[in-house]
Amino acid sequence: MPGDSSETRLAEIFSDCAAEMLSDLGVPAARLAGSRAPRPTGDSTAAFAAFGNEDVRGSLTLVAPSELFSRLHPLPPNVIPRDLDDWACEMVNQAVGRFRNRLAAYGTKVKFGVPLSALAELLELTSSCQAAWSPILFAVEGMVLECWLELDVTPDFRIAESPSDEIEAALKEGTIVLF
Amino acid sequence: MTKKTVLIVDDSLTVRQQLSLVLTSAGYQLIEARDGSEGMDAVRAHKEISVILCDLNMPRMNGLEFLESIKGEDAGLRVPVVMLTTEGSSDLIARAKLAGAKGWIVKPFQPELLLAAVRRIAGMPEPPA
Repeated sequence: MPGDSSETRLAEIFSDCAAEMLSDLGVPAARLAGSRAPRPTGDSTAAFAAFGNEDVRGSLTLVAPSELFSRLHPLPPNVIPRDLDDWACEMVNQAVGRFRNRLAAYGTKVKFGVPLSALAELLELTSSCQAAWSPILFAVEGMVLECWLELDVTPDFRIAESPSDEIEAALKEGTIVLF
Repeated sequence: MTKKTVLIVDDSLTVRQQLSLVLTSAGYQLIEARDGSEGMDAVRAHKEISVILCDLNMPRMNGLEFLESIKGEDAGLRVPVVMLTTEGSSDLIARAKLAGAKGWIVKPFQPELLLAAVRRIAGMPEPPA
């Protein structure tokens, strides 16, 4: 919303991207109010990627029960732990990719790194930022996907109020162009 | 008819598995590489490659570096490279085109559209409707 801080607006843009990604995976997902996910009883998988430019630095970490990553996997019968780690990384790749493509339309270009993943029984995330850090939560397949978006923006940074018509839009997901 | 060979260069095992399923079921042979560096090794070792599908964001050697490197190889002149990535920015697409890429696919891909693109870029006829 106009008037919100750049961090809040970036988080909203990201939230839309995450919801789109889940929709493209063919699963109904509902954003949950609040910022506390129930502690999973079994293994959890987390995947992470950092992104940034001169004004915006941040990272995205996706955390969910490993069972959820397994259910979202595009080729479920083949899923083994190694596949899950890789798939969690690919989900981060696709989520950050969408985010970056949407931001480009606001005149904000970010680069991002190669995603990494971890499997653990108990995962506790802490922030390197001063600001309070809470995840965006989605209810998916009866479980919770936590999207921890960490943002650190320079004091002068303001994201544009709306996407610019003068900036060539990034290609939409699924687009194929042959030269 | 001889099967066409596609080289997949992507650090994601999941994406390689997805592509493998789609392309082998359509009759293609596959070679897989996990980054641009392995992709270069594959290009040098396999003269039969007809099409290369290459990710952009990879460790060791990324997709644009791969495109630049392959120019110095014999395969660089004859094997079309299609980028397959989450990136959709016009700047990067222009850079890849300038570096010799023949196409750009934004992930996630739709299998039937990807197959049609590979078929076209490999110079294969469309299957009968």
